[in-house]
This record gives sequence, C-alpha cells and structure tokens, in this order.
Amino acid sequence: MKRPPPPLALVLSVATLAGAAATGAVVGVEIALLVVAGGAMLGAIALLWASVQSLTGESSITLEEALSLGAPSAEEEQKRAVLRALKDLEFERGVGKISEEDYAELSARYRADARRLILAVDEGHAKERAEVERQLAIRLQQADEEAKAREEEAKAKSEAPPSSPAASDPDAASDPDSAPDSDSAPAAKESA
Amino acid sequence: MWQSLPEFGTGVLYAILVTAAYTFAVALAAGRGQPRLLQSARYGAYATAGLTLFAVALLAYAFITHDFRIRYVSRYSDRSMPTSYLFTALWGGQDGSLLWWTFLLSGYTTACVTWLRGRYRHLQPYVIATLMAIFGFFAVLMLFAANPFEATVAGARPDGEGLNPLLQNYWMVIHPPSLYMGFVGCSVPFSFCVAALATGRLDNEWIVAVRKWMLFAFLFLSIGNALGMAWAYEELGWGGYWAWDPVENAACLPWFTAAAYVHSTMIQERRNMLKVWNVFLICLTFFLTIFGTFLTRAGLISSVHAFAQSDIGKYFVWAMAIIAATSLALIVWRLPLLRGKSEIEAVASREAMFVINNWALLGGMTFILVATLFPKLSELWGDKVTVGPPFFNRWMAPIGLIIFALMGLAPLFGWRKTSPEALKRAFIAPVSALVGMYVLQLVFGRSLGYPSFVERDTFYPGVIGVVLQKVGSALPGIVVAIAAFNVTVVVQEFARGIAARRRSAEKRNEEESVLVALARLLDKNRRRYGGYIVHLGICAMFIGFTGGAWGIDRETAMTPGQSYQLGRYQLTYEGSRMCPGNPRCSPAEQADLNKRMIFADLRLSLGGREVARLSPAKFIYHRQPESPTTEVAMLRGLRDDVYTVVGTVDPQSKRATFQFHLNALVSWIWIGVFILIGGASLSLWPEMSFRELGAWGYLRAGAGVATSVMLAVWLTASPTSAFAASSRPKLALAADTPREQPIGALGAIAAGLALGGVLSVSWRRRAR
Repeated sequence: MKRPPPPLALVLSVATLAGAAATGAVVGVEIALLVVAGGAMLGAIALLWASVQSLTGESSITLEEALSLGAPSAEEEQKRAVLRALKDLEFERGVGKISEEDYAELSARYRADARRLILAVDEGHAKERAEVERQLAIRLQQADEEAKAREEEAKAKSEAPPSSPAASDPDAASDPDSAPDSDSAPAAKESA
Repeated sequence: MWQSLPEFGTGVLYAILVTAAYTFAVALAAGRGQPRLLQSARYGAYATAGLTLFAVALLAYAFITHDFRIRYVSRYSDRSMPTSYLFTALWGGQDGSLLWWTFLLSGYTTACVTWLRGRYRHLQPYVIATLMAIFGFFAVLMLFAANPFEATVAGARPDGEGLNPLLQNYWMVIHPPSLYMGFVGCSVPFSFCVAALATGRLDNEWIVAVRKWMLFAFLFLSIGNALGMAWAYEELGWGGYWAWDPVENAACLPWFTAAAYVHSTMIQERRNMLKVWNVFLICLTFFLTIFGTFLTRAGLISSVHAFAQSDIGKYFVWAMAIIAATSLALIVWRLPLLRGKSEIEAVASREAMFVINNWALLGGMTFILVATLFPKLSELWGDKVTVGPPFFNRWMAPIGLIIFALMGLAPLFGWRKTSPEALKRAFIAPVSALVGMYVLQLVFGRSLGYPSFVERDTFYPGVIGVVLQKVGSALPGIVVAIAAFNVTVVVQEFARGIAARRRSAEKRNEEESVLVALARLLDKNRRRYGGYIVHLGICAMFIGFTGGAWGIDRETAMTPGQSYQLGRYQLTYEGSRMCPGNPRCSPAEQADLNKRMIFADLRLSLGGREVARLSPAKFIYHRQPESPTTEVAMLRGLRDDVYTVVGTVDPQSKRATFQFHLNALVSWIWIGVFILIGGASLSLWPEMSFRELGAWGYLRAGAGVATSVMLAVWLTASPTSAFAASSRPKLALAADTPREQPIGALGAIAAGLALGGVLSVSWRRRAR
C-alpha cells in the first residue's frame, strides 16, 4: 500500500520554512511571510486534493488506517485498568499505605478480576484466532505442496539426459528466476 | 472579486468555513466505519489548518507592510510600531484575536489528528467532526461579526491609530497566546468526550486518550493566568497582581474545573467510577472557555480587559446554548452506560478525598462565577449591586484554604480504604510539621515581620462578618502551617517511595543509592510524582498570596532630597527629568520620539547602603496624550519587592506624589509557577523507557526540556533586570522596558517550536 501524502507534506513544510528563513534573512520579514502564506496555501490545496481522492476512492488507504481497525474492546480496556490498579496496589504496599490484610484481600479481588477479563478477551478473540489458525494451516499446506513440487521438479531435472539445451546454456543456469530455490519452503513457512 | 488583500483575506475565511463544513460532513460519514472516509476527513482537517495558517500569514503580512486598507490593521498599528509589536497586534484586538484563536485551534487539530493515526479508530471520526464544528463556529463569527480582513470604509489611511500603550508590554506578547493555548487546548478533551458519548465507548479508552491533552491545557491555563498576573503587577501600577476583575475571573474558571478533572479522572481509571462526573467536568471546562471569551468580548460586564462592545455576544450565546444542549443530551442518552460499577467503600480512602477536593474546587468556581455575574444579575430585580475585590478576598480565603488543606490530605490515603495504623504512620510527620510551624511562627513571627495574626476589618455586620474577620485575621498563620503540612507530605511521599525502592533492590541483592532510587522512582511513576511537584509549586504560590497580609502600602508627596522609610528600606527622592531632552536620559530614551517620559529618580537604601536606583515614570504617548501610562519601577527579592509608582510631578518645584508598596513574598508566586510547570512537564513526559527510546531519543528529549527551562528562566530574569538591580547600584529605569525583548521572546518561542517539531518528527520516525 502506498502512502504518498506524509512525505509530500514534510517536504513542503521544510521547503516553506527554509524558504521563509532564507528570504527573511536576505529580503525581509514581509517576503518571508508571503513565502509562509504560499506554502500554507499549496499545502492546503494538496491536502484537499488528497481528501477528495480518498473520498472518491481514487487512492488506497494507508497501512496504519487498515491496522487501526482492530481497536481494543471494552474488556481489554477494563483489563488494562485492573492491571494498572494491581500495579498501584503493589506500590502502595511497598510504601506502607495499606495493611497486609487489606493488601491480600484487594490483591485477590484484582487478580480474580484480571483473570476473568483476560478469559473474556481471549473468548472475544476466539473467532479471529480460529480464522488466523485456519489461514495459517492453509498457507503452511500450500508452502509444503510448493516445496514438494519444486523438489520433484529439481529431481526430474537432475535425472534428465545431459544433452538438454537448458543445461548447456550458461545464461539459463545463472538466471536466479529459473534456478531452484532450496530455501523457499522454509521461507514460505516462516512468512506464513 | 479578490483584487485586493481585504477581499482576498475574506475569501480565505470563506474557504476555511467551507473546508471545515466539508470535513465535518465527511468525518460524520466516516463514523459508520469506512476507513477511506476517515482518511479523507483527516486530510480535510489538515487542509482546514493549512488555510488558517494562510489567513494568519496574510494578516501578519498586512501588519508588516502597514496595509491600512484593512480596518483592523489601521486600528491596532501605526507606522512607528516596531516589528515585534506589529506581531503582537495580531491578537491585540477582537477580530484578530478570534483569528489567532482559530490558528491555535488549527495547531491543536494538526497535532491531534497526527497523533491519532492508527489510534482510537472508533473515536477518531467524531473527534475530527467536533473540532471542525468549533472551526466552523469561529469562521462564522469572523465572517459575519468580526472580520479581521474587513476593509476601511473611507479607504486606506496614511497612518494607523496604534496599539493601546498598555498592551505594548513585554508580558502582553506572551500572556494572551499562553492563555489561549490553555483555552483552546480544552477543545481536544471536549472532542474526545463528545466522541466517547456518541460512540458509547465510555470505559477508560477516552479517559486515557485525553489525559495528557487535558494536562497540557491545564498547564497552559496556569501559565496564562500567571503571566496575566505578572502583566497586571508590572503594568497596571496599583501594587497588586489580581484584582478579581471579571475577565481575570473568567480566565481562572476553567482552571478550577480542569484541576478537578485531573484528579477525578484517576478515580475512573482506578475504580471505574465517576463516569458522569468526568464527562460533565470536561464539557463544563470547555463551556467555561467559551463563556470566558463571551465575557471578554460581549461587553456584558465592564472590565479593564474587555474588548470594545460589539454584537458578537449573540453568536456566543448561541454557541453556548448549543454546547450545553448537545452535551446534556448526549449525557442523558448515555446515562445507562455511564452508571458506575463500583462505589466508594470508605471515607478514609483516596477516592473519597478526591471527591471532596472536587466539590471544593467546583464550589470555588461556582462562587467566583456567581459573584462575577452578580452585578448583572442584580439589575434584573432592582438596583445594581457592585461586588469588589474585598468581597472576593474575604470569601475566597476560607474556600482556598479548604482546597489547600485537601491537597495535602489526599496523598496520605490509599485507594479503596486505609487502615488506622497506616493513617497514623502517614499523619505523624505532617501533623508535627503543621503544629511545629504554627508554634514557631506564633513565637518568632512578629519579630521577623511575619506575624501569625494580622488584624482585619469587619466586612459585614453580624455573625458571618465576625467569623470572616476572625478567619481572615488568623489566615497568615494557618496558611503557613498548612503549607508546612503539605510540603512534609510531599517530602514524606518521596522518602517512602525511595525507601520502598531500596528495600526492593536489597531483596534482589542489589544496591541502589538514594539518588539512583529517586531517579528511578520518578522515571517509573512520573504522573504521581509530577503531581506531587505541582503540589509543591502550589504551596509556594499560597505562601506568595499570603504575603499580602504582611505588605506595606503607603502614599506620600516628596520634594527632591527628601527621604521616606518603607519598612526596612529607605527611599530618597533625587529629582525628576523629562525624556527625551534631559542630558541624564539614556541614548535609548533620547531616541524615542513616540512619547514623552517623565521619570522620578529614587535611591533605595538598606541599612545605610545603596542597593538600587528606581525610576518610576509616566509615559505620555503622542498618539494618545489623554491617557498617560504608569510605569512601575521595582526591586524584586525573595523576601519582598519594593514597588514604586509616581503619581504626579510638578514641573516647577519637582515635587512628586508617590505610591510605595512593600510586597512581601510575591516572588514566591512566580517561583511556584515554575515549580508547577516543572511538575506538570514531568507528568506529561512520554512513558517510554531508555531501551525503547535509545540514547539519541533521550538526548533529544533532554534538549527539548533544557530549551523549555532556559526559556522559562529567561522569561523570569528579563523583566527583573529591566527594572532594577540589587547586586550593584545601577540606574534602573522604567523606560528600559526594552522593545527588543519581545523579538527575543518570539525568537525563543520560535526556536522552542522548531525544536519541538524536529523532536516530534524524529520521534515519530523512531516509533514507526
């Protein structure tokens, strides 16, 4: 996925600031202000253009936008709060603000809450996890099949008579695309 | 249509309105969960901010080139003004200050939208929509009621009217932007709050998201108010720093609710309680920022700060009505989700203390609000009742005392409940300090010049009057004792934290020195200990406020050669001079042709030794001869400030009338503000470890902090050196208020901003 606007914005900002500083030092403040105004106007036009392009579907969404779709659930937020409270409780015990009995009672309560919420979060993710595992199994199976196919192909080539034109052609032998990749199967597994 | 700058500028304002409206609509549509629309809204928000920068640069260009075709430029500048004050004029008048407000909002919007990338996917559309709605409001306001690009009806004038001399002051260069930074900063938490209410995601997600934004706004509200106090102290020449003026009051109202929120948010984070209260506080804080702006601009209440009367008020009334109605409707709609799942288990708990503290802060805010509006409200049912500073001082003293005492109490309690043994352990040292300090002051205070009791007049007849009089008289001793209690609480918290860390290290067979333990303690618990440092700053400020009880205020007339004893100081009047023209004037004074300056030169001695020369003055600007300005001269010190003001000078006999004030401990207010800034900055520090950030990252962050600290120190030191010197006798002139200082200030702020920009860019790169 491509991400065109941020570098453009950065380049424009730096160019505008540098231009303003240079003109400010050489010509005067008023021209520097015009440079800033010009840069701001160009930036606004470019950003509006990018906005309209996104709106009409002529540009792809950024990786961050796609990744951010997986926002944390309410249980995850509660889990974080309970874990933070547990950390605070440890701290307060350390500085002697809480008795050992109270600490034991509250700690047990927080831990039970945390356990319950972690289970709830796991359950909430069960569907996605099953889907990920299914996809993983498919990819691994595909990778295994591809590796087997390549091995068989390589075996067949090695058993073929030496008078084959491909084997006598040095260009063909050195072509990385046509050469068998013995690391491809583990790599595919890793990427899966 | 756009053949001239006024028309073109107005066109840009229309463009801001249209872009904000477009982005608002796209953001709302993105709320259905379409990432493509969200991306479009994000670009739209950036474009709106870019257009605002464009408009500000155009107006600044108009000021620099003296384009008097624009009415705003001709009213607030003239050809003789130096460049620094031409920039200040951007926010010196009503129309420009609204554009400046929008500009700051564009800065916040850019920062917020950039920060939101990849975060809070569900809240983002509504955050952007709310920010765009605020943009839209200000664009409408500028286009239809206060257009900074409006053309001068009679055509371009040869010269402008010039900026009000009172605003041609060092502090006015930085006070309004700082306060606006605080005011506008409340827009971001409000936008998150609206987003959380709209989406129903009301657990800790949005609370965590707004934590640092709110703290940032709170920090700038504090700085803005403090700078306002510094300006009033130095420029208005009445000897004090806070006059309970309606506009001052309006500026401090959101500070109270923001302070309440900063504490109550912790309860929701820890205990999942007070959800309704927190959304209410955020909405109220934002509402109060708009209300404060309304008070300043609508001409509702007379004030020295208020802008000229205009019909802008009705727009604000509509805006406030919409904010209040929308917030209330959303809260009522989401009430089932906002109901807490826990409750306060014991009074001896930190959450109970925070709740009481919240009520005290809200009580203080409500009192100031009602008292500020009372003169106007009283007109509804009869004669107008005036509410002056003595009324506020008498009533706010006990309210402030309660807040101050609760500030020290809360850290002594643990969450949920605190055992009696733990409480006993926690209270021994602070209570000993409280009692010890009270007794010490009772015994030695009078001989040192800081007595525990300072007799006050009875303000009211009857029981309430007597109670207030007694409390007021005993206040100095009580405040100092409570300050000792609070400082001991903070020191004890640090000591206990360090001890706990060292015990923990011992168990692991490691050795941790006190300094290492302190550094790690601060590193691991920045928010908590940053908050404690803020408490220390507030203690210093309370000591400074209490100093008013031990001050001396005198008025006298003197002829050259006469001396006057003011406390431990002796002031000798040496004579007067008018600049330019007098050979004793400095070259800068001789060269200043914008005004006549009448100085009264005083020699200040302590124990027979000359410590400074002070030259209070009257400035008569050629453009506004009917309103001469008072220029204070003072010698600042940790123990007291010698503050001198000249009233009149007889040109024949050189006889002059003076006001002398010996303001005890005022410097502690400014010191407290810097401690507060330090503590709040520590709390705001990103929670990334050295390993995550790397040495270079820490170096960059350290450079950022060093720049901020240097800027703060420079800001403190500059006005002091401008007015008086304590180490060696030096002619310290009111006219020394250097016109070059604002250029330096702007340069320092620009350097800080540039450094911040570089840091954030490199930070983001690293984060990726």
